[in-house]
Amino acid sequence: MRIKIALAGNPNSGKTTLFNALTGSNQFVGNWPGVTVEKKEGGLKGHKDVTLTDLPGIYSLSPYTLEEVVARNYLLKEKPDAILNIVDGTNLERNLYLTTQLLELGIPVVVAVNMMDVVNKNGDKIHVKKLAEELGCEVVEISALKGTGIKEAANRAVALAEQKKAMKSVHTFSSRIEEALNAIEAKLPDSVPEEQRRFFAIKLFERDDKVKEQLKPVPDVEDIVTAAEEELDDDSESIITNERYTFISSIITDCYTKKSKNKQTISDKIDRIVTNRWLALPIFAVVMFVVYFVSVTTVGTILTDWTNDGLFGDGWHLLDIGAAEYADASDAYSLERTKIDAYLAAAEESGIDVEAVTEALDPETENPDASAVTAFEEEAAAAGIEGTAEIYNDEGEIEETFPVSLEDFQTAAQAEEPDPANYGVWVPGLPGLIKSGLESINCAPWLEGLILDGIVAGVGAVLGFVPQMLVLFIFLAFLESCGYMARIAFIMDRIFRKFGLSGKSFIPMLIGTGCGIPGVMASRTIENERDRRMTIMTTTFIPCGAKLPIIALIAGALFHNAWWVAPSAYFVGIAAIVVSGIILKKTKMFSGEPAPFVMELPAYHWPTVGNVLRSMWERGWSFIKKAGTVILLSTIFIWFVSNFGVVDGQFQMVEDLSDGLLAVIGRFIAPIFSPLGWGEWRASVAAITGLVAKENVVGTFGILYGFAEVAENGWEIWGTLSSSFTGLSAYSFLVFNLLCAPCFAAMGAIKREMNSAKWFWFAIGYQTIFAYLVSMCVYQIGMLVTAGSFGVATVISLIVLVAFFYLLFRPYKESQRLEKEVRV
Amino acid sequence: MPLILAKAGQTNTIVKIGGKEKTRKFLESLGFVAGSEVTVISEIAGNVIVNVKDTRIAINKEMAKRIMV
Repeated sequence: MRIKIALAGNPNSGKTTLFNALTGSNQFVGNWPGVTVEKKEGGLKGHKDVTLTDLPGIYSLSPYTLEEVVARNYLLKEKPDAILNIVDGTNLERNLYLTTQLLELGIPVVVAVNMMDVVNKNGDKIHVKKLAEELGCEVVEISALKGTGIKEAANRAVALAEQKKAMKSVHTFSSRIEEALNAIEAKLPDSVPEEQRRFFAIKLFERDDKVKEQLKPVPDVEDIVTAAEEELDDDSESIITNERYTFISSIITDCYTKKSKNKQTISDKIDRIVTNRWLALPIFAVVMFVVYFVSVTTVGTILTDWTNDGLFGDGWHLLDIGAAEYADASDAYSLERTKIDAYLAAAEESGIDVEAVTEALDPETENPDASAVTAFEEEAAAAGIEGTAEIYNDEGEIEETFPVSLEDFQTAAQAEEPDPANYGVWVPGLPGLIKSGLESINCAPWLEGLILDGIVAGVGAVLGFVPQMLVLFIFLAFLESCGYMARIAFIMDRIFRKFGLSGKSFIPMLIGTGCGIPGVMASRTIENERDRRMTIMTTTFIPCGAKLPIIALIAGALFHNAWWVAPSAYFVGIAAIVVSGIILKKTKMFSGEPAPFVMELPAYHWPTVGNVLRSMWERGWSFIKKAGTVILLSTIFIWFVSNFGVVDGQFQMVEDLSDGLLAVIGRFIAPIFSPLGWGEWRASVAAITGLVAKENVVGTFGILYGFAEVAENGWEIWGTLSSSFTGLSAYSFLVFNLLCAPCFAAMGAIKREMNSAKWFWFAIGYQTIFAYLVSMCVYQIGMLVTAGSFGVATVISLIVLVAFFYLLFRPYKESQRLEKEVRV
Repeated sequence: MPLILAKAGQTNTIVKIGGKEKTRKFLESLGFVAGSEVTVISEIAGNVIVNVKDTRIAINKEMAKRIMV
């Protein structure tokens, strides 16, 4: 028969570290109260028939937090064969409070005093033998981090479990309470086993409703309890609490010799500075700036560029050898191409047929026709053609113009495209390798398209963010493990509490400015379920890195790069979070007692490299796995609907995106967006492709407006775009794309973190409907103000606006529901 | 006096804890019981970090007001 051993202890007592060491399984260890929210199991190393269960970190067995209820139900109903109670040796008094309760359950207990290395270093002494005597159970000294004593602790627990002997607690309370407890015990039904009678008696004395549910019939002990309460002038629960602490105080002096009393610990000193009234925010800002600067802008960008342009692009120069030379050669070549294009354009304007020569000079053309070039040169010379080349900068402004003569054209026509492989050490990218591999096995063109344009491009675009995310995860794991994360929550709590979020929501949102996926995943550090859900739902409102090109496109095309467009996008995002927070807080789904901020701040300590890396890897890996499933399927779907369609009555692969099924879908759903001012199929299609990755919106516009490739801000299509959009409709398009459902990868993250289909769809639905309504209000009310137009949609928008304000300012009725509440 | 008025660095003894039962019980399990010594480590706008039974605990203003020392 399998032996079950439960691992119980306070949050931050090193329980999870011990669990990992004993089972050898991979689990994240965070220096964060209540990191273990779920029950985890693992086989004990060296004992095949022993299962170890890691209970949530709890301070007591009272029914006030979700963790406590989970742990208590497990201990009472599953009845493990032994409990391994891990206590923090540096904080013995508080930790023994739980121990006294565990001892009453009748299950054999082994107390493992953890952090003995720290205790010894402080020069303190714990008299283990004396402690064992007073508690009436075995006590072992361990250090979970260093791995000392843990084998012995586990072996003792296994030995006790094998004996199958119920254990009776030896600690007693004051005689008045004992009297009352004995009276209650006598009233308990016979079905309660001997070893649990004391536990039930104490719980009945405390008027614990959840325990009453487990008793049939419930004995009436009210008069006993009331009598004791009146006599001691306190409520029964407080009486027991005080009795426990009195018992602990009575034994602690004999068991624990403290070398230095009232000496400030290092953590206290750090906290004096880090949470200082004046210094807290500046220090916090500096830390956040460093995290953001390194992971989102500098190192992160380098890594992201490498994966996107190198690994999943054309390739890269190893260690940048030859990169600069290639860039120069490439620039020189594109200048020559500009000259050619300018000359050809001038020639075409003068009525010369340039079709043959264009074809011959196209670098893509195989076996170019040299005679066409010669013929053209003769014709151009006869006509005396002079071209004017225009050099554009990144903003789409003309930087330089210069004349192009026939000689210039002739030299330019000789220029050859530089091959990066000829410069330095060139490593080709994955798509190129796969392409040549597929070509060598004569793969069908459609399959090649699916693999390269669909799968590799789609999944690659998502995986491109992995290195950046890993950098970010290292920071997060470090902040979490060293203990600073708990302080961040404390510092930011007052601000975020106002709109229904917690201080811990700040981190996900900050990270969300880089990428929403790690942002959503960072919400895991929020253990209050309500706060976490709300954070997950609102984090992606913040414009992420991939949304910046959309902002640049709209700002450039319709607002002449006005300075206010980009900041306003962030403002819209922040406003959406605040408004959603306030509105949602008042809904039934999120109602509940606002949890008062009471949180244990763990002692600062240097995290181990292993723990940080393990945490980074776990989060990174779960994302990569998602890219391999959800994202893979959705990119294949988008690729399919973009590349297949009905042309000439036949279902076939299409060359042009505007013939594909996606365009059909776009035309079909376009009317939905008419009230938003952009009921045009191209915009709809762009919004759909934005679901794969937000930066696709710009690329799609480029393709749909007839440019094969556009710059990141799409300046080539600014002209065309400004003719099909008005300022208002473009801003409404921008707002919609900023706020609506994020890309598939981020949706995948939301699904995973919500861990419930219902909440996932609620989040996505809320985001999309919210985005729709806000964009509609922007457009319709904007139209009313600027053009005075008034219609059905205007009326609806005004109603929506009023509804928004109502939801925002209606009184906040505190709900009576408490059951889901978890401590913060 | 309420804990909120205690000076940083000062050690006081808890006299009484008020507030909602649920929170009070949670505070009790953390070591906030009458008779315990509590030291204020730092304070920001009424929110305090205190040391109780060798643990640092952050509590907000609303809670700190209800802990009498």
